Amino acid sequence: MKETYQGPLERVNECCWRIPKSYKQGMRVPGLIFSDERLLEAVKKDQAPEQVANVAFLPGIQYASLAMPDIHWGYGFCIGGVCATDPDEGGVISPGGVGYDINCGVRLVRSNLYYQDVKPHLRQLVEELFRQVPTGVGKSGKYRFDKKELKHLLAEGSSYVVGRGLGSPGDLEYTEAGGHLDGADPDAVSDRAQTRGADQCGTLGSGNHFLEVQVVDHVFDEAAAGAMGLEKDMICVMIHSGSRGLGYQVCDDALAMLRQTPEKYGISLPDRQLACAPVNSPEGQKYIAAMRAAANFAWCNRQLLMQQAREVFGTIFGQSWQELQMNLVYDVCHNIAKFEEHEANGKRRRLWVHRKGATRAFPPNHPEIPAAYRKIGQPVIIPGDMGRASWVLAGRQGSMEQTFGTTCHGAGRAMSRTAAIKEAGGRNIAKELEARGVIARAQSRRGLAEEQPKAYKNVDEVVEVVHKAGLSAKVARMRPIGVIKG
Amino acid sequence: MYETFEHTADLGLRVRAPDLDQLFGEAAQALFSTIVDDLATVRPTQKIDVNLKGEDLGYLLFDWLNELLYRFDTEHLLFGKFEVRIENQNLHAAAWGEPFDPSRHSLAHEVKAITYHRLKVEKEKDGWLAEVIVDI
Repeated sequence: MKETYQGPLERVNECCWRIPKSYKQGMRVPGLIFSDERLLEAVKKDQAPEQVANVAFLPGIQYASLAMPDIHWGYGFCIGGVCATDPDEGGVISPGGVGYDINCGVRLVRSNLYYQDVKPHLRQLVEELFRQVPTGVGKSGKYRFDKKELKHLLAEGSSYVVGRGLGSPGDLEYTEAGGHLDGADPDAVSDRAQTRGADQCGTLGSGNHFLEVQVVDHVFDEAAAGAMGLEKDMICVMIHSGSRGLGYQVCDDALAMLRQTPEKYGISLPDRQLACAPVNSPEGQKYIAAMRAAANFAWCNRQLLMQQAREVFGTIFGQSWQELQMNLVYDVCHNIAKFEEHEANGKRRRLWVHRKGATRAFPPNHPEIPAAYRKIGQPVIIPGDMGRASWVLAGRQGSMEQTFGTTCHGAGRAMSRTAAIKEAGGRNIAKELEARGVIARAQSRRGLAEEQPKAYKNVDEVVEVVHKAGLSAKVARMRPIGVIKG
Repeated sequence: MYETFEHTADLGLRVRAPDLDQLFGEAAQALFSTIVDDLATVRPTQKIDVNLKGEDLGYLLFDWLNELLYRFDTEHLLFGKFEVRIENQNLHAAAWGEPFDPSRHSLAHEVKAITYHRLKVEKEKDGWLAEVIVDI
């Protein structure tokens, strides 16, 4: 059911297109899509722009319903969507604006190893990562938390697992928000959600989640890369995962809770999946408290995944991870809503910024950036596909002026899963990747075909747009050499 | 009978059946065909009962699939056979299956959630149609 978008798209400049407020009755603000001429052709092929317009219906929305260049069709919100609401103007919180995988995100770990050190051991390294790091469906993690421990973990975030010796205090400093959101209430997380999450902390999951061994391929900004401890040919580990079943269930519970809420508060919505509640309502507050707890869970999950990877490197290279200097460069969320200070209509205000498949990209000197990065801007980690590249960017002032401090989050799919399977036509994707110098291990061959490089847009093109638009600047490009997936 | 349809990042399930009981049973089969590569490998050694009150048929379908997904995610139970009775928008069902066994079952997708996006249960000329998009 491919449906092309037939509505208006007015060119604002070479990086931005507008859906005027007049397109649909009920839009409170215009839609703005960051893109370029080429990417825009793909954007028009599905209903993602329609979803950008629908989000503009949400009460209290400020400035514009925004979309990043990796925009694609989601449910309710598009993937790559950004929406900021003001609680003082009846602004809403929407679980659909965060997504099922609350605080899905990416972290990047550096090392003092270089490509030539790892190349001879690559197959062994990937096999061992695949053995040690739980991937795929129905896999339990190695770490068990009883009910009481899980509550602490949900309330405290990364510091809870680091406190139990699974990482170092430095890991917290280099995690967005310190790996912890205030106001998380474990009791707002249903028993069902806690049961779903109980054995999944420290598991990768499936779909587009991955753990990759990467090589720094090209450095674009020496000073920024230096501050992050990155240089050409260096080995890095990138981890992409989220809050697992716990987060999915929190979202699910919230959507069930909100089935009647829009009517109750007189909110008219063009799509059920946009369900929302005023921030200042019992329903809104309950979701926020649960969502924050799920975000804390996700940070613990990525922390434990990183720790397992560090241990595997330690085993293979016969040194501790500290000796290998496997320090966390940064960890970003790309499915989240956060209460942040921004300027809207000439006033500084606290807004609820929903980032659904979009990454925070605070500019240099922003107080929420760790001291080591204060001069260069917040590191932004952009995963690409498993054959081509991933990126590290740094936040720029343009993001505060145009996108509530936000940039893209990845390549964005170019093909649906069914189309990707058809395209693969039974080809051995693992073999093809190997011919490109990438060793890939996955639980599901089907999963590998659905996630093949061709299924994604070229991440370089997406990055080009956010760089040109001044949202975030290129720092370094990495290419994958080892991949494990669900 | 069911087929999958395209949705960029996710997967749509389209089910047709002569009556509602079969429609809900086939929708459950479609869901588990998404999770496991070959549904024929799932043996009906365990039975669970599911009873749900519905507000409307769309939500009822959603809640039914959601309950099965929850059982899979928490108890690692795969289901392959279903008997469903819909009465006054309430559901009474039995599902048969067995625990996931990696030596015999090959899993295809992690379904994160059933979504409300374009959720549809409709009477057609000669039967019923359901559409649901699952988040992968």
